[in-house]
Amino acid sequence: MIKLQGVNKYFFKGEPREVHALRDINLTIEEGEFTLFSGASGCGKTTLLNVIGALDSCESGKIFLDEKEISSLDEDARTTLRLNELGFVFQAYNLVPVLSVEENIGFIMRLRGFSDEEIRRRVLEVATLLKIEDKLKSLPNTLSGGQQQRVAVARAVAAKPKIILADEPTANLDSNNSQILMNMMRELNEKEGVSILFASHDELIMRSVRRVITLNDGAVIDDYKQ
Amino acid sequence: MFKLALKNTLFYKGRSIATAILTFVSTMLFILFISLQDGSHNSMLENSLKIYTGAIEIYRKDYRDVGGNEYLIEDAKAITDKLAKIDAIEAFSTRYETYGLFSSKEYSAASMVAGIEPNKEKVLSSLGSALKEGRFLDENIGNCIYMGAELVKKLKLGIDDEVAFVGGASDDSFAADIFKLCGVFKTGLFEFDSSASFVSRSYLDELMHAKNKASYITIKLKNINDAEKVNSEIIKILGDKELESLTWKTLMKSMVEAMEIDAIFGYISLSLFLVVIFFVIMIYGFINISSRIKEFGVLRSIGLSKKNIFLLLFYEIFILSTISVILATPIAAYICYYYHINPVVIEGIADMYKDYGVVSDEIPFNFDIFTIFWNVTIVYMLNFLSILYPYLYINSFKPIEATRHV
Repeated sequence: MIKLQGVNKYFFKGEPREVHALRDINLTIEEGEFTLFSGASGCGKTTLLNVIGALDSCESGKIFLDEKEISSLDEDARTTLRLNELGFVFQAYNLVPVLSVEENIGFIMRLRGFSDEEIRRRVLEVATLLKIEDKLKSLPNTLSGGQQQRVAVARAVAAKPKIILADEPTANLDSNNSQILMNMMRELNEKEGVSILFASHDELIMRSVRRVITLNDGAVIDDYKQ
Repeated sequence: MFKLALKNTLFYKGRSIATAILTFVSTMLFILFISLQDGSHNSMLENSLKIYTGAIEIYRKDYRDVGGNEYLIEDAKAITDKLAKIDAIEAFSTRYETYGLFSSKEYSAASMVAGIEPNKEKVLSSLGSALKEGRFLDENIGNCIYMGAELVKKLKLGIDDEVAFVGGASDDSFAADIFKLCGVFKTGLFEFDSSASFVSRSYLDELMHAKNKASYITIKLKNINDAEKVNSEIIKILGDKELESLTWKTLMKSMVEAMEIDAIFGYISLSLFLVVIFFVIMIYGFINISSRIKEFGVLRSIGLSKKNIFLLLFYEIFILSTISVILATPIAAYICYYYHINPVVIEGIADMYKDYGVVSDEIPFNFDIFTIFWNVTIVYMLNFLSILYPYLYINSFKPIEATRHV
């Protein structure tokens, strides 16, 4: 469970160009949720995702992950948290170009010290779920955008994190690939029970998720389940 | 992490090739330069030690600073009996040195004349093998003199010519004799060849009333590197505060200082070269890493620690350095070995550096595995240092900033 209490975030604080990026955010996201942070460009949805994902800090307020406060952690502890508890899917896939699909998917598991056998089994399992099992030996630059994003999702989910944070995962995909990706992520959410949080203004994602939290000018203006 | 580093070195070919070539060149040059420098210094040292100066010499105190008959060793045998018990000593001999005036039919010149033990000197020094004309001294032939080539030239003497000598004996009386020129030597050391002459010790002792006296005792060691250790042992065994035992480092202070200064300038030149190489490697690494900021940002975002990033960079430079060193070291070592056996000939160098003991145009390289090992270690260290700034640069970005870096 993720809990945000009075979270505020500024950019360029104290300067004339100061931006109040997040305004007094109070939220609770339960385990296994399939949720979207929505809103117009610059509304703060990516910032909120980054703050929850321990990639960015907040000036005030508290963030809890399973009762543990994560907003006050130092950089090393945040890194450990990201490695062990969170998974990330980026807009631009951000795969490691020199590693094969198989190695990319197993990369985080290897960092976390899983055995070779565990990695091999889990990589095959996730790759089959995401229908990229025939691409395991390929390098990322030989795959289509949709396939690369599926590899990124597989990498995020392989080490069984508590939460996956996906920032505009469909932004570089056509509608067909976007639909395929969302179907697969929903299946992952249901089968693996992993919480998935999106930051996007894609209508397709909005239709696919079960909860939509809308932001405007850094504040939550709407929060509904569908 | 090592596998990722290996793949990165294969993927970023430009940086890898540049770093490998620069490391190869710096390893080669470093090993060859140090080998040549050490080789030339060793050659200077060996030549000087071979010619006349001993690895260790025993004097009566103040003989070297003040001189004079009152500072002669009075009972040389008592000392040589003690020296005979030290295993590390290969050979020793007593020498009696004095100065006087030599006159041929037309010319006169002042010179040192030393009483030496011819048979022992054959083991101790290269005086015998420096023979240019005539023959070396013999214990049984008394008034034979063995002179430096430049002195002979000055006096316009020929083999078997007679030369008159006037000097002071050990009891401060006058000593005079007529010697026959038996042999001429040429060591290549101009000063030595123009101011030194030798007579059989037994004959000179009679002339100078110097029986069992010595200006000093010269010692050759089985291993020159043991000089300090053996010297301490000698001092202990002698147990005489009136005597001083000095190693070649003190005896040839000016040469040692000249070699040290030469080495310092050599190291400065080499350091400047290595600094340039270091910065070029670092800049290549930095350019490469600057183009990979986003990649590092992603890696940090998904959970790689700063330590992991450092390890990644460390492995990358380790792989490149190791490949280069593995290629460069055997080649450089072989060149060193080859020129150790077949010295490089630089025409005119002996003439240029004759004051520093260079007696030959041949400069042998030094071949020493330990020296090569520490040369390689320094190249490794420099390459490892070259990743520090790029590493700090990467860490100046927050992971999220780095993922957005263009």
